[in-house]
Order: sequence, then C-alpha cells, then structure tokens
Amino acid sequence: MEKIKEILNKFEMEYVEDYKPTWVKAKLKNKEDLLEVVKALKEAGIASCSTVSPTDYPEEDRMEINYFLEDIINKKNVWLKVDIERALDKCEIDSITPELPSADYHELESYSTFGVKFKGHPNLRYFLISADYYGKFPFRKDFDWEEHEKQLIENVNAISEEFFEEYEENEETMGHEGSRTVLHWGPTHPASGPIRLKVYVNGENIEKVEPDIGYVWRALEKLAERKDFIGTIVAVERICFMDNTNPMICYAQAVEEIAGKEITPFAKYMRVILGELGRTVSHLISLGGFFGTMGLQTFLMWCLDVREYFLDVLEDYSGARIATACIEPGGVRYPLNDYKAWFGELNKAIEKWESVKSDIEDIFLKNPLMTVRAKETGIFNEEDVIENYLAGPIARASNVKVDVRKDEPYAAYGELEMDYVTCDSGDTRDRLYIIYKEINQSIDLIQQAMKKIEEGIEAGEMDPKKDHMIKMPRRMPEGEAVSRVEWARGEMLMHLVTMPKSTNPYRLKLKAPSVNHTRMLEKLLPNHTLSDIPLLYGSMHICQGDLDR
Amino acid sequence: MNVWEMLFYIFVFPGLLFLLAWTFFVFYFARKTLAYLHKRVGPHYNGPAGTLQTIWDIFKLLTKESITPKSADPYLFNIIPIITPLVAALPVILIPWTPLINHGHAILDTDYGILGLVVLIGVEPFLLFLTGFGSNNKYSFLGGMRILAQMISMEAPFFLAALSPALLFGTMNLYDIMYSNTWLTTLILLPGAIIFIITMLGILEQPPFNIPDAEQEIVYGFYTEYAGTNYTLLKFAEFTEILVISAAAVTLFFGGYRGIFFDSFWWLFLKIALLALVMVAIRASNPRLRLDQMLKFTWSWLTPLAILNLVWITFAKIYILGV
Repeated sequence: MEKIKEILNKFEMEYVEDYKPTWVKAKLKNKEDLLEVVKALKEAGIASCSTVSPTDYPEEDRMEINYFLEDIINKKNVWLKVDIERALDKCEIDSITPELPSADYHELESYSTFGVKFKGHPNLRYFLISADYYGKFPFRKDFDWEEHEKQLIENVNAISEEFFEEYEENEETMGHEGSRTVLHWGPTHPASGPIRLKVYVNGENIEKVEPDIGYVWRALEKLAERKDFIGTIVAVERICFMDNTNPMICYAQAVEEIAGKEITPFAKYMRVILGELGRTVSHLISLGGFFGTMGLQTFLMWCLDVREYFLDVLEDYSGARIATACIEPGGVRYPLNDYKAWFGELNKAIEKWESVKSDIEDIFLKNPLMTVRAKETGIFNEEDVIENYLAGPIARASNVKVDVRKDEPYAAYGELEMDYVTCDSGDTRDRLYIIYKEINQSIDLIQQAMKKIEEGIEAGEMDPKKDHMIKMPRRMPEGEAVSRVEWARGEMLMHLVTMPKSTNPYRLKLKAPSVNHTRMLEKLLPNHTLSDIPLLYGSMHICQGDLDR
Repeated sequence: MNVWEMLFYIFVFPGLLFLLAWTFFVFYFARKTLAYLHKRVGPHYNGPAGTLQTIWDIFKLLTKESITPKSADPYLFNIIPIITPLVAALPVILIPWTPLINHGHAILDTDYGILGLVVLIGVEPFLLFLTGFGSNNKYSFLGGMRILAQMISMEAPFFLAALSPALLFGTMNLYDIMYSNTWLTTLILLPGAIIFIITMLGILEQPPFNIPDAEQEIVYGFYTEYAGTNYTLLKFAEFTEILVISAAAVTLFFGGYRGIFFDSFWWLFLKIALLALVMVAIRASNPRLRLDQMLKFTWSWLTPLAILNLVWITFAKIYILGV
C-alpha cells in the first residue's frame, strides 16, 4: 500500500488517501499525466482495469472520470480520479487501453454514453447504444429524454435501417485470396441469446469474431437516477435474473456506507444465505446450459428440477421466485417469523441436491464425449486472466486465487470458513467443474450461516422478528462509495455518487464481469471451428443482461 | 400379384398408412421416453397419456403456411420435400415384414436385397444436401456440406457392416438371411451389428452424430428455411428412414420377424422398438461430437474395424460353422 502511495505521490495529486483496507483513493490534477501514472502502476503490479466510470457535473462544468485499477493477485487496488472539461469538443482524455487492455470495452461504453473521447484507443466507435442515440450521449445530465421520445418514429427507422444495412453483409472479399463468409451468429440464433457475433468463417474455420452488443440495453444506470434509494433495488436486481440477490447486496452496501450505518449480525448472515442461494440458483442454470450448448438437454432439465427447490426457498422468504427484491439498504427486507420452518425448506433443497450429486458426477461430469470436446480447448493462463481481467469462476478455473468474498470480506463472510475454490488447467472442462465445486461451496456456506443464526437465536443475541432492518435515513448526505461483491459470474462493482440531502442516486455505475468475458471471445474463438462457438461461448457463462445493463 | 393386392401394399401395409402410423408412434414414443429420462412428464393433456398430442401437432404443421424464401430456388426448394419421402419409403418393398404377406417373403423378393437396400438408403443424403443447397441460406448450406461429409464417411463402414451377414450366409436375399440366422450366428454377427448400429446413428443424424442439423451451431442446418407442409414431409421422410434402417438392422442381424414360439410382425416391431429405445437413451446422455472428430472417428476407427469384422466373419465361417 505504502509503495503505491509513493508512486502516486510522484505525480501532481490533489489528494492520496486510504479507502477501505484494500483501496487507495487518489485524484490526479492534470489529465496529461494519466498515461504515465497508469504505466507506473502497471509496473507495480496493478495490471487490471475493473471499470471506467465518468460522472457528469454540469453545474461545475466538469466531467470526473473514475478509474478502478486492481492488482488481483496481491489484492491492492487504486481508485483514480481525474477531471476533464465537459464541452463535447473538448471532452477528451488519453486512452489507457494500450496499457491495460481490460479497459477496452469500458472506454467504448463511456464514449457512447457520456461522449468522452479516448485519444489513442485502437478502435473508438459507438458501442452498446442503438443508432438513434448516436451523437447524443444519453447518460449526460442534460440529455433530453422527452424530446428523444417525441422523435420515436424517426428513431425506430434509424435503428431498423442500421440493422438491415449490417445484415446485408454476407461476404467479405479479400482480393486475390478469394472471399470469406460473414455469419451473423445471433441475436435470434438458438444458442446465442440477445447478442450478435459477427463471425468471419472460411468453411468451418473461424478467422475473426466481432461481438455486437446492446440488444437488451435498458439504461439501468440512468434508470437508477430517477428512482429513490429503495426503488433503485428493482433496477439493480434486473441486471440479470439468474443471480438476483447479490447485485442488491452490492447496492445496499454502497448506500449504507454513504449513510454511515452498520447492519445487524442477523441481517449479515441472512445476506450470506440469500446471496449463496442466488449463486446456487444461477450456477445450476450455468451447469445445465453448458451441456445444452452441445445439444444435450437432459442435464439442464435435471438442474432445473433441483433449482425449483431452491426457488421455493426464495419464494417462501420473499414471495417471488426470480425477481425477489428481498435485500434493501439497512438489512434484509422481511423478518423471519418462523425461522425453523424456513430452515426446514432450505434443508429440503440441500438434501435434494445431495441426492442427485452422485448421478450428476457419473453421467455428466465424467462423460467421455464431453471430455473429448471440452478438454484442452480454450485454455486461459494466468496472464490472460490478469491482462483481460477475467473474473470469478473463469479466473478461478485457471488457478488464479481471486474471490471478493475472501479478498474483501463483506456481509458475514469474514466470520465463516471458506477457501478459494480453484481448478488447475483453465480449459473449457474446468470452467464446468469450477461451477460444480462452487455450488458445493455455497451449500457449505449456507449451512454454516444457518448454524450461526440458530446459535445466535438460542443465545438470545439475535431476534429474527426485529433484527432484519435498521432505520435508514430518508435523505442521504453527500458522498461517494465503491462496493464490491462476488457475483455468480465474478466481481461486481458499484460506484454510487450522492448529492447533499438527496432522495435518489446522482450516479450509479454498475460494473459486471460479462463485459470483459465477451471481449475475450474475440481472442478465444479464432482458430476453432464453427461447432466450438456455442461450447466456448457457453463456457464463459455470459449473461446478456449484465453485459448490456 | 393382382391390382387390389398392389393397392393394399402401397396404401395400407407396408405403405402409406403404416408409415404414417409409425411416424405418429415413434414421435410419441421418443417424446415420452425422453421426457421420462429428463424427469419431465411429456405430452399429457390430449388423449389418454397424451397420445393424441403428436397427431394434433402434425396436423397443425400441415395447416401452416408453406413459405418459400425470396432468395431460394423455388422449384428445387419445393420439389425435394416431395421426392425425399418417396425415396425414403422405397426400401420398404425389400424388407420381409410379416409371414402373412407373400408367404413371408419381401414384396419384391430379390437375390440382391442388401444391395438394393444399401443403394436406396445411400441416395437419401444427396437429396437432403439439395434441400440445403436450394435454400440459399448460409446456415442451410453449411448443413448441406456437413451432411455430405458425414454421409461419405459413414457409408463406408455402414456398407461393410451390412455385408457381413451376406458374407456369412453366402446370399444377399434378405429372406434367406433371416431364416439362416441362429443364436450362434447372431453371436458371430454381433460385432458387425454394433458397427451397423453406430453408423446407423450417423446416417440417421441422431445424437451424438446430429452434426448436420445441429441446432446450437447452424440452426437446424438444412431444415432452417422449411415450414408447414414441406417441413412435415421432410420429417416424415426422416422417420420413415428410421423405420427402414432399424428394420434392416433387425432383419440382417437379429432374425427379423422370427421370434420365440411364433413368427409375427410384432416380434419385428418389438425389436425395432428396442432399437429405438437404445437410440433415445444415447440421445439423452451424450453431447454432440464435432465434425472433424466424427470424421476422425469414422475413418481411423470405424472403417478399419468394419474391415476387420469381415475378416472375423470369414474366419468364423470356415472354422466355427465349418462351411
């Protein structure tokens, strides 16, 4: 930490201060220094960029850009801020993509939504947004949404024209080399989900891949600014329906940090249980979906069968199965009036999982044809993980020990016994195995947390009927917070900015791991055949919901 | 053979009506068994245990509009779905179905039965390739290419395996082969039968060799552009082919309609249903192979094994049967 501060202090800084145990927060005076700072930090091991988040201050005529840079091996992170001018023609800054490739898509996103031009970016283009937003930059505070909606018909035409133009491209001529076919893999492809991969193929062999995203872009970050602090949770939880609870934990932590409140131990353990339930529910789909990409639906059906039991538990608690909205700033939303009955349901679900485990291992995880297809294909090593900031299960499958639950313990994870779950080789099969191992870890954590809650209640330290919430202020003070959780697909980071006495967030940046994982497809897929696209794509466990937000 | 007899063969058994009934049955059977293995219920509401569901589905498909894409070749696109079921149904006359018809012989009782069967089955993939070619769609065309690659590599071991009973019994007449088969020869023919069944999965595009119509990769390949009646006809051709090749397998290796205590069509049917059950079980537990892996498997394992099998048959014929 001291070393990083030393490096930062060599440059002109407005301030350099500690923030949480693993972060250093600093603000750069001159934007010209940025590249030099990033280079120096990269030499010190901070080689991954988590995200780039601009905040727009029209009154002060400035745009503040936040860089979240991480050293995922040694768990030392830097939150770097820099001010630039706001006017569209002057709103530009050096791109850090040549130094940290993981910033690539995040810079494109900032350019498309805020109009920040990144000088020296290898391929600066509009991204994520549809044709009707080109040149308008929807996340700026002065963007006129009503005017935009009035031009609805025109906008629809702009989108469809762009769409048709792009889809008419079937072939790329290459002079004397002949030509290669352009396949549009998505967005209505059976295995793609709402994303389009432009695949350049020579026969069955893939030569180049270009992801085109934004088909389910809902502007959640902007939507959060229009809702109050409680209402924002329904925007946040819709990042991806599969793991629904963890984004809410992340958001609630950021709000609690700004309000300066500490939640009760009971609520902390409840967050562990709910968070791990969300992870299990999501992983069960990932597990089955992996085989679905190879045309085998049996495993998916079996996983959905088990998943029903876990959804029943969520339904018992919150009344909803998928979009639960059960965690809010201040704790968890509902008391446990009959905790024994709920734990009984939970144990039933766990028993169901234990009862199918041996069948799953024998029939599917040791399946010879799956091994033939998935073993030793699409290998990621540690450098790939750091350079492109692959997160969560994908990183752990390559034997990189990274897990926010352990690196920066939140909720009650610090008091539970857990270890990094890893696999060795980092190939496609390991990205299946890691998911299976993580479900077992989640079950173990749930059992530990249940035990702690039971002990707490028996000792009279916890009251499940009252302890679930603390009182939160209706209006928040001015502040800024960064909160991280281990989501089912990797690190989720939220950057929340509030104004004095505000009732709604001023800016909420949602960072989800699928962005980097999708970017990785450009490097992963070439030199494989067409049959490998669904398998490798499925092994990245990408969810378009958190890709587009 | 008089006219009425002929019309009965064409329209009732083993012709159109029988093939339709088989299509309904195997569709329902595959759905229900697969659902059981998936831990689902499967068709449930229409008819007793959902038996009417398949029939309604097929009639629903028939009432749908048949769409011909703008860029497709309209003649090729629409003629192939008519030719394909006809070609698929032709081998039916070469197989002895029941003791009640033609004194237990096939309708066309010929000494070149296996040859006819193999040729008629081998024509089918080229028609399916033309469906992909005529669709003028990138995914369909890829599906057409894949089907050619798969058929060329699968047919070599398929024919070699089909030859093994002919070599053992010294005849290509299916009726004679069926009646020469004993428990001992069934055991001798078992390696050939296994190779035949594996290649059968490839030729019928069943998992793990459903590469030409891979949904997740090339969007059902050559089926992509077909809808309504045309799609129904292609599916009908597919199920007819399943029936014909399974019946061929049973006749060649497992004694056709001959059974314990009595000979009947139902023995043949039972054996075919068991084969279908094996196919469904493989489908429910194995993912799809990649095209290059399939090619490697057929040419470096299956074809050499099929040739070795012929050596084994010759050996067994001389030293075990002592002919």
